[in-house]
Amino acid sequence: MKLKDIGTLLELPDSNGSDIPTLAFVGQPNCGKSTLFNALAGFKANTGNFTGTSVEFTESLAVVGNRRVRLFDLPGTYSLNPSDEAEAVTRRWLDERRADAIILVLDASVLSRSLELALEMAETDMPFAIALNMMDDAARKGISIDVELLSARLGVPVVPTVATRGTGVVQVVSSALAVASRPVQAIRPVYDRDVDMAIESVEALLPAGLEPSERRFFAVRVLEGDADVEARVGSLNREALQAALCIRHELAVEHGWPEDGVFASHRHAIAVNLSEAVSKVVRKPVRSKRDRFDSVAMHPVFGPLAAFAALAGFFAMSFFVGGALSGLVAAPFEHLGEALAGRFPGVVGAVFKGLVDGLGGGLAIVLPYLLPLLFLMALLEDVGYLPRAAFLMDGLLHRIGLHGKSAVPLIMGYGCNVPAIVGARALESRRDRLLTVLISPFIACSARTVVILALVGAFFGLKWVIAFYLLNILVAAGVGRLISSFVPGTPFGLLMDIPPYRIPPFRSVAAKVWFRTRSFLLSAWPALIVASVLMALLEFAGIDGMINSFLQPFTVTLLGLPAAVGVTLVFGIFRKELTLLMLFQALGTTDVSSVMSPVQIMTFVVFVLFYIPCVATVITQVREIGWKWTGISVLLSASVATVLAFLVSLAGR
Amino acid sequence: MTLLDVSESLPVKVVCVGCGLGMSRNLASLGIHAGDIVSVVRRAPFSGPILVRVESTGANIAVGREMAGRITVETERHRDAS
Ligand SMILES: Nc1nc2c(ncn2[C@@H]2O[C@H](COP(=O)(O)OP(=O)(O)OP(=O)(O)O)[C@@H](O)[C@H]2O)c(=O)[nH]1
Ligand SMILES: [Mg+2]
Repeated sequence: MKLKDIGTLLELPDSNGSDIPTLAFVGQPNCGKSTLFNALAGFKANTGNFTGTSVEFTESLAVVGNRRVRLFDLPGTYSLNPSDEAEAVTRRWLDERRADAIILVLDASVLSRSLELALEMAETDMPFAIALNMMDDAARKGISIDVELLSARLGVPVVPTVATRGTGVVQVVSSALAVASRPVQAIRPVYDRDVDMAIESVEALLPAGLEPSERRFFAVRVLEGDADVEARVGSLNREALQAALCIRHELAVEHGWPEDGVFASHRHAIAVNLSEAVSKVVRKPVRSKRDRFDSVAMHPVFGPLAAFAALAGFFAMSFFVGGALSGLVAAPFEHLGEALAGRFPGVVGAVFKGLVDGLGGGLAIVLPYLLPLLFLMALLEDVGYLPRAAFLMDGLLHRIGLHGKSAVPLIMGYGCNVPAIVGARALESRRDRLLTVLISPFIACSARTVVILALVGAFFGLKWVIAFYLLNILVAAGVGRLISSFVPGTPFGLLMDIPPYRIPPFRSVAAKVWFRTRSFLLSAWPALIVASVLMALLEFAGIDGMINSFLQPFTVTLLGLPAAVGVTLVFGIFRKELTLLMLFQALGTTDVSSVMSPVQIMTFVVFVLFYIPCVATVITQVREIGWKWTGISVLLSASVATVLAFLVSLAGR
Repeated sequence: MTLLDVSESLPVKVVCVGCGLGMSRNLASLGIHAGDIVSVVRRAPFSGPILVRVESTGANIAVGREMAGRITVETERHRDAS
């Protein structure tokens, strides 16, 4: 390492200081904030073609041009008046004013809607530059936008961008840095006379304790009915707030509008005018193949059928490809393990064998099945199928007391339950969130898919794999129905944006798959290896036998399984893939069918599919819904697993 | 007439989003306002939501049935005449 590099490294710790400018991406949902962020910082924030992909902020340092900047990707928000928890994150973040400048991202393909947020931002005194993103989609719609004019009308820099291709991303950062160092006040929207007068009178009423630059923003906010700002003004001066509320009431009565609708309507009108002034339709929009695709994908009958066929096809593919790869990679590891165990007797040999089993297991059993699944999930998220699935499934989901939007996190749960649980934050009502978090652990995540493919697939064939998935969906639905009848309330009606299909460039899908594979390699693989070694040591010391005989009443008597599986189920609580590796290790063979009967294998897989969510899932649940509900969730899955596995085991007796 | 009674791909004008304050704000933030021209693109199965297209932006919004039943609309006669 060169001395110069060490210098930069040493600078890092105190980089919280003011010398590194902080920029934050703000914009309406699904306008491409995270994609812009990733284009600058490397893949760190998840992207997806639907509302509410990001529900938390992501931070990163990046070097842009030759300057270092600190970047924040924030959850999307339609307006500065938050309507769900993810939006509230953004609002709080903005209130704390942690950024030197904002990069406001607008979706050029729905410009007038995006501009409403820009007009709201213009009311604040936060410096911002605009990234006019999705320029390619706007062009596809036949729209051309006069960027200069838009910039002149708003009084802030506007840079056209195509985030997926990285076009314009560097320029937008330089523009933002420019406004950060020389703040300019955006041109505030001019409402009609009555509204402007009301703003002025409220501004005059506001207590003295406020920054002068904040006064106008506060006045507008009070008139809009912003609870946070009202509380702050009220705490400074009660009478002032009362007087302001009177003005608000009069204004609404005069216009015959609901009190909180005055500004929304005005901004809408201004945004529409502005959008018409700066954009023109240069040619007829191409009615693309993508639109026509929807007449199948969203058809009430063919849609679900097509989705099912596609999924079945996908599982068939990953089953055959994964199976073939897996066999190829596993064989040498098995030989190596045996050879080592033969060469070194005693503890050393046991440790070596465990090490090789863990290494090989991660590589040969997990990766071949995991990679295709990760690839599918990445594609599914970015193409924009998920909100369509939510649209199709909303009716059915309502019957089991769920909200259509929960289809999005639940489908993501097939990759991993953790993002599904966190993703539930995008739902508006507490009840819908809770239910989604409680049902998520029942979804067969990729780890469990590995178990299903490697056991059910290998010994019973593809038909049974599909049957397992159907069973899984039925059970999840049944559980949903059950829990929802205990949680009072009814789900909200669905209200969600269905974005156009977008074809992500291969590079960005690959980046996402690599990001997730790397996290598997860095966190799960070592865990598999450690567990494998631990298992070998337990076996060597004979402790596994003690655990097995302790669990015997449950495993053998109740479920009719071989006693040896007891210890594998304990490991499975840490990661579900472990049950598979440990099973091979405990039975001393990968040919499970030589030791277990078909019914026993089925019983085992059913139990593994549903019992106690893995540790990572449980921790996430605690964070999102607290101990009490997590406890209920764990108990629920353990009992469902036991009952179902018991029922299956009856077939063999 | 509400959005529920409109046949598919017939453009209509939103008269009023009379479904309570909070809801009209949510619809507005997604781009459905009184005065907008919209059309019903398709309906979801199992009495699910309907897909509404806002003609001015081309945005597609899924709107639950209950909510759609509270959005009153009128057909654009004068548009056909002109
Ligand atoms: N065609 C096109 N697609 C884009 C562009 N920018 C982003 N996308 C795609 O649009 C989708 C949304 O991008 P995200 O970056 O996840 O959007 P976001 O603003 O972070 O969304 P939320 O986190 O939900 O608020 C993704 O599927 C991207 O691949 C663009 O400039 N052109
Ligand atoms: Mg995002």
